[in-house]
Amino acid sequence: MSPDAAPILNVAGLVKRFGGFHALDGLSFHVAPGEILGLVGPNGSGKTTAINVVSGLYAPDGGEVRFEGQPIGGLASHRLVHRGINRTFQVPKPFMSLTVRENVDVALAYGRARTAPPPVAQLLEDYRLGEVAARPAADLNSAQQKMLDLVRALATAPRLLLLDELAAGLNPAELDWIAQRIKALAAAGMAIIVVEHLMGFIEQITDRVIVLNAGRDIFEGKLAAAVKEPQVIEVFLGGEHAR
Amino acid sequence: MPKLVKHLLLIVLPLLAVFAVAPAVYQNHLLLFNFVIFLILAQGVNIIYGFTGYLPFGYVGFFGAGAYGFAIMVMHLQMPAALAVLAAGVVGVVLGLLLTPLLRLTGAYFAIANLAASLAVLHLVANPALESITKGPYGVSLTGTFNPTLAYEAALVVLALTLGAVVYLRNSSFGLALQAVREDPVSAAMAGVDVVRMRMVAWLASALVAGLAGGVYAWYVSVFYPDNVFSGEFSIFAIVFALFGGVATILGPIVGVLILYGVYNLIGFTTPQYFQLIYGLLIMGLVLFLPAGLMSLATRRGWHVP
Amino acid sequence: MLTYALVAGVLFGLYFSLVGIGLNLVFGVMRIVNLAHGDIIMLGGFIALGVVTLASVDPLFAVPLAFVVFVLAGLALYYVLVPRLQGASNPEMLSIILFFGLSQVIEAITTIFAGTSERSIQSRLLGTVFTTIRVKWFGGKPGPGGPIHILGQGFPAPWVIAAATSLVAIGLVYVYLYRTRLGTLTRAVMSRRDEALATGIDVDRVSAAAFGIGLGLAAMAGVFAPFMFGSITPAFGADATVTSFAIVVLGSLGNPLGTALGGIVYGVCYMLVQTYLSSWADLLPYVLLILILLLRPSGLLGRRVRVA
Repeated sequence: MSPDAAPILNVAGLVKRFGGFHALDGLSFHVAPGEILGLVGPNGSGKTTAINVVSGLYAPDGGEVRFEGQPIGGLASHRLVHRGINRTFQVPKPFMSLTVRENVDVALAYGRARTAPPPVAQLLEDYRLGEVAARPAADLNSAQQKMLDLVRALATAPRLLLLDELAAGLNPAELDWIAQRIKALAAAGMAIIVVEHLMGFIEQITDRVIVLNAGRDIFEGKLAAAVKEPQVIEVFLGGEHAR
Repeated sequence: MPKLVKHLLLIVLPLLAVFAVAPAVYQNHLLLFNFVIFLILAQGVNIIYGFTGYLPFGYVGFFGAGAYGFAIMVMHLQMPAALAVLAAGVVGVVLGLLLTPLLRLTGAYFAIANLAASLAVLHLVANPALESITKGPYGVSLTGTFNPTLAYEAALVVLALTLGAVVYLRNSSFGLALQAVREDPVSAAMAGVDVVRMRMVAWLASALVAGLAGGVYAWYVSVFYPDNVFSGEFSIFAIVFALFGGVATILGPIVGVLILYGVYNLIGFTTPQYFQLIYGLLIMGLVLFLPAGLMSLATRRGWHVP
Repeated sequence: MLTYALVAGVLFGLYFSLVGIGLNLVFGVMRIVNLAHGDIIMLGGFIALGVVTLASVDPLFAVPLAFVVFVLAGLALYYVLVPRLQGASNPEMLSIILFFGLSQVIEAITTIFAGTSERSIQSRLLGTVFTTIRVKWFGGKPGPGGPIHILGQGFPAPWVIAAATSLVAIGLVYVYLYRTRLGTLTRAVMSRRDEALATGIDVDRVSAAAFGIGLGLAAMAGVFAPFMFGSITPAFGADATVTSFAIVVLGSLGNPLGTALGGIVYGVCYMLVQTYLSSWADLLPYVLLILILLLRPSGLLGRRVRVA
C-alpha cells in the first residue's frame, strides 16, 4: 500500500450521456499504484458507467481520463488492455465453447503484457480453476466464471484493474479468500478500483472510497468517515427509500 | 511433432494425394472436380462461420463474382487463365471489402443482408444494361481457355491453400482469438484482441477462397450463365456440408462433403426437387438432433477432433 | 404518370404491409426470423389456385381458408419445432438454419406436386362475388369488372381489392394486439420477453398464437400473389422472404404496425423504380434492405438495437 505515490489514473470532470440522461455528470477521482479504491453509491449513480468509460467500452462525452499521464478517453478497449488496463464484468461472459485454459491463452497471446504474467498453471491454481482447466468454460458455475474472468484479466498483467461486483454471489468463506487475493495484488503494486454493493467487503479491502450520486462524486475518503457524512447518509437512505 | 505439422501430414496431404491421383483411375472427372469445389467452399464457410460465427447465406456471391471476374479478365483483357484465377480471387476480396460494413450486423441480420448482397450482385451481373461487360443474362462462353486438366489442378492448389488456412486457424492463437470473438466480442477485446480487425481478416480470407474457387470453376466449365454461378445451391451445399460434419474443426467439413456429396451422387437423383426435399429434411434434422455436427459425437466422448 | 405511380405505390404498399406483417409478428414475439415466410406466401397462392380450379369460385374465398389452415399449421409446427430449439446453446442461429431447411422442404414438396411452371389466375375472377351480389340484389348485368378509377386513373381491380383486404387485416391485427387479452400479453412478451417470463405470463401460449397468426397472415397475403405479381412458381418463396424482410426492416423489426409504414414506403419506391428505371427494379429490394440495415438499423420507426 503506497497511497502517497503519484496517481496512475486521473479522471477529471467526466461526462457520459445516454440520450438526454447524464449517467456521468462531472465525475473526478484518481487512484495510485498499490491502492484499492472503492466506488460506492446507490443504483444508477454511475459506478459501472465510470468503469465502462475507463475501460473503453464507452467513449466519454466530456472531461478527461489520463492513464500514466496520457489521455486515454475514447481509445478502443483492446488498446487500453495493451497499455495496462483491464477489468472484470458484473456478469462475466467467458468464451463458453473454449476450455478454461484456452480462455486464458487468448489473453496471454493478445494481451501484450509488459511484464511477464504468472504462469497459466499458477494463475489457474491460485483462483481455484486448476481442476477444471481442460473443461469448456460453459461447464463452470457462476462463481468459477467470475474467477475465470479475473484470471483472463490478470493474464494481461494489468497495472490498473477494475473489478465490477466481483464479490456478489460468493459465500462468506470465498469472500474472505478473494479479499486476501485482491489485497495481495495491490501489495504487489497494482492499482485496483472496486465497484461493490457489499459494504463489509468494501470496508475490508479498500484504502479509500469515492461516493457517487447522480453521476458525480460527493465524498472522498475512508468509508468509516463517509458513513458519518450527512450528505452521504441522505443519498443512501433517500436512494434506498426511493426504490 | 507440432500439431500443425501432424494435421498437414495426416489430413491435408493424403486428401490432396487422393484427389491428385483419382482422375487417372476414375472416369467421372466432373464429379471429382465438383468434390474439390465443395471441399473448398465448405472450408470457406468454416472459416467465416465456424471461427467467427457469421452465417454467410450469400456466400455464393463471392463464388459468382469470382467466376465473372475470371470471365471478364479473359474476354476483355485476354488474360491467361491461371492469372485470371488470381484476378478472380482479387474480385472476391474486393467484394468482401465492399461488404465489410455488413460485419456490424449480427445473427440473422448479417445472414439476410449477406443473402441480399449476393442477390444484388446476381441481378447486377445479369442486367441486360451491362451486356457489353458481363454479357448480361445471355451467359459467357470462354472456349479459348478451355482446359479441364489444368483447371482441375488449379482447383487442387486452391484446395491446398484453403486447407492450409484452416489448419493454421485450428492450431494458432489467431484461430483461438477468432473463436473468442465469436463467443463474446466484449470479453475478447478485454483479452487484448482487436475485434474489428480479426473479423475482417477472416471475412476477407473466406471471400478470397470463394473467389478463387469461382475463377477455377469458370475455367473448368467455360460456358455458364449468371443463374449457374450465382445459384443459391452453392451457398446451401457449402453451409450444410460444413454444419453436417461440424464447424471449427479441420475434419468436420471434409467429412461432411465426402459423406453428403458422396451419398448424393451414389443415389443419383435425377429430379432436383427430391434432392432439395431430402436436403431440407436433413438440415432440419441436423438442427433438431445434432446441432454441433457429426464431430460432436466424438467430442462429447471427450475425444479431441482435429 | 407520377400520380399513377404514387397511387399504385400506395395500393401495392398496403399489400406489401400484409406480406411483411406476419414475419414481423413472429420475430417480435419469438426473436426468430422465419425464413420459410415467403414459402407460406407461395402456398397461399396455391390455395387460391386450388379454390379457382377445383371449386371454380371467387379466389377471395381462399382468404379465410388460407388463414385458418395456416393458423392451425403454424400452431402444430410451433409445438413440434420450437421446444427443441430452445434447449440448444445458440437458438437464434439455429432457428435461422432450421427455418431455412423448412423453406427448402416446402419448396421441394410444392414442386413435386405442382411442377416448376408459372401459374397464374385470370384477374377477372377475383371479386366476382361482388358482381354476383350486385346482380342478385340490385339487378343489372353481370359484366366484366373493369378497372377501378382513383384520382382519374384506372387501376386493375385486383390491386384495389388486395389493398382493401390488407387494410382490413392490418386493422384486425391492431384490434388483436390492443383490444384483446392475448394481444396485450403478446405486446408484453414483445417488449420484454425475460420479464414476461418472470411475471408468469404463459410465453409459450403467446408465442404459439403469434406464430400461427403470423403464418395465417402470410398465407392470406399469398392468395393475392398471383394477381399482384402476375404469376407464381414454387421457387417464388425465397424472393418473397427477402422482400418481406426488406419491408419489415424498413418499418422496424419487432413493431408489427410499423410494417404498415414500411410496406407503403417500399410500395411507392417499387412503383417509382418500375416506372422510371425499370431495368434496375429487380435490384431494389436487396439494395434497399442493405442500405436500411447499415444506415438506419432501427428502421424508420423504433429504436431496437441490432448491431454488435
